[in-house]
Amino acid sequence: MLDPRYAWLRRLIALALVLALWEAAGRAGWLNPLFAPSPSKVWVALVDLFADGRIWPHLEATFSAALGGLALGIVVGVLLGVAAALIPLVAELLEPVMSVLNAIPRVILAPLFVIWLGIGIASKVALSFILVAVLIFFTVYTGIRQVDRKLVERVVTLGGNRLALVQHVYLPSVTAWVLGNLKVAVGFAFTGACVGEFVAATHGLGYLLSFAQSTYNAALMFALILLILVVVMLIFVIAGRLERHLLRWN
Amino acid sequence: MPGANTLLHVRDLTISYGGEPVLERASLSVGEGSFVSLVGPSGSGKSSLLRAVIGLQQPLSGAAETTLSHAEIGLLFQDDALLPWKTARDNVVLGLTLNGMERGKALVEADTWLERLGLAGFGDRFPRHLSGGQRKRVALAQVLARRPKLILMDEPFASLDAIVRSRVIRDVVALVEQSGISVLLVTHDLEEALTLSDDVYLLSQGPRARITQHYHVPIPRPRDPVLSRTDPAFAPLYERLWADLSRAVDHRAEAA
Repeated sequence: MLDPRYAWLRRLIALALVLALWEAAGRAGWLNPLFAPSPSKVWVALVDLFADGRIWPHLEATFSAALGGLALGIVVGVLLGVAAALIPLVAELLEPVMSVLNAIPRVILAPLFVIWLGIGIASKVALSFILVAVLIFFTVYTGIRQVDRKLVERVVTLGGNRLALVQHVYLPSVTAWVLGNLKVAVGFAFTGACVGEFVAATHGLGYLLSFAQSTYNAALMFALILLILVVVMLIFVIAGRLERHLLRWN
Repeated sequence: MPGANTLLHVRDLTISYGGEPVLERASLSVGEGSFVSLVGPSGSGKSSLLRAVIGLQQPLSGAAETTLSHAEIGLLFQDDALLPWKTARDNVVLGLTLNGMERGKALVEADTWLERLGLAGFGDRFPRHLSGGQRKRVALAQVLARRPKLILMDEPFASLDAIVRSRVIRDVVALVEQSGISVLLVTHDLEEALTLSDDVYLLSQGPRARITQHYHVPIPRPRDPVLSRTDPAFAPLYERLWADLSRAVDHRAEAA
């Protein structure tokens, strides 16, 4: 019987074994370094990025685009979702548009945003924004329509008007749903920023990935993938803590 | 409008959900300080009648007339319907601030009522961290803190286990008797109706349920809901009510 308390240790050992095997295979010449550089080479590439300080402007560019798109996407997604749930005309107009945007892979809009907004940060924010806003819109819109009718009736019978309903029932419900989807939204925001940079940019982790690809620098590519992974995982941890704190009633 | 001592007069109320009426031409009155129960089988439109009184349901015809303002009528649901993201205290406070009370005063009032209902020290807990009985008491505090003149109760004790139920009922009866609040209780539990009420109305089986009988319960007050069962008036009334209810259900079954 496996002790669940030590699951993390078993996973860590398994990961270390895979890395050791990978390293050994690389040193033995079984792996082509052009396609699969050994972990030590990836590590050196990662350390180099930080050692000469050239990573910082790229990290700043990606973070700014992702977090800007995330914030805008949440605000606009919530506002549109609330409006659509409470005003039938808004729902009638918005639902088809949002459904189409939800159905297509929205990253295909990246070249269009570059034409419209240029190769600067704005086109990356726009892509992150559209990815996040559609997700949050449907989260809020369907969430409000499924809000517990008993709670609505409770506030109404206590004398609450429409504003009181929004304040005491809909907004707390919306907060819960948005927080429940925050991790997915963070993933979407970074996807938008990186893909946008991948298409056309002068800075950013996506731009560096594109550069690594064009120069066949697999070690740099692995290092960047690892870096993005760590960054997103850190944001996931922060989002998880925020979720646990704000949803402590649940 | 209702008479001098009548707080609520339900007159010829018919409620339909589109097709055949669930409830037809129901009439009853709730006087000042009286405890009235409406009993009947499932599907007889008991809850619909309460919803119509509070304005959550539009009747097909008839009316629920009252001398009271909306703020003077409290409602206790079968589900406690507490806002899960608010603490017990804030749930009670909400009922008061929506009534226009300033928040600081409402906080003091909420703590007083929570303490009165045996929930001192539980004010900071969220509903999910309270037992069923405690949640019911918070819901009761939310209603009573508003100092209503009439409380509409929709099977409020149905979800509680036997011991908690009898304790909550005992507290409710004591508080209602002390404060002179009128109650209209909807229940399918005949025993509960008789031990708590001054008057009981019997609804027939729905659809097209009608009020078929009205019983006065002469058990003296103040009452202990458990000991009321031993009152000489209880058993004959219970037998009569049970027989009438059975007849109403059987009659509908034969008609169907």
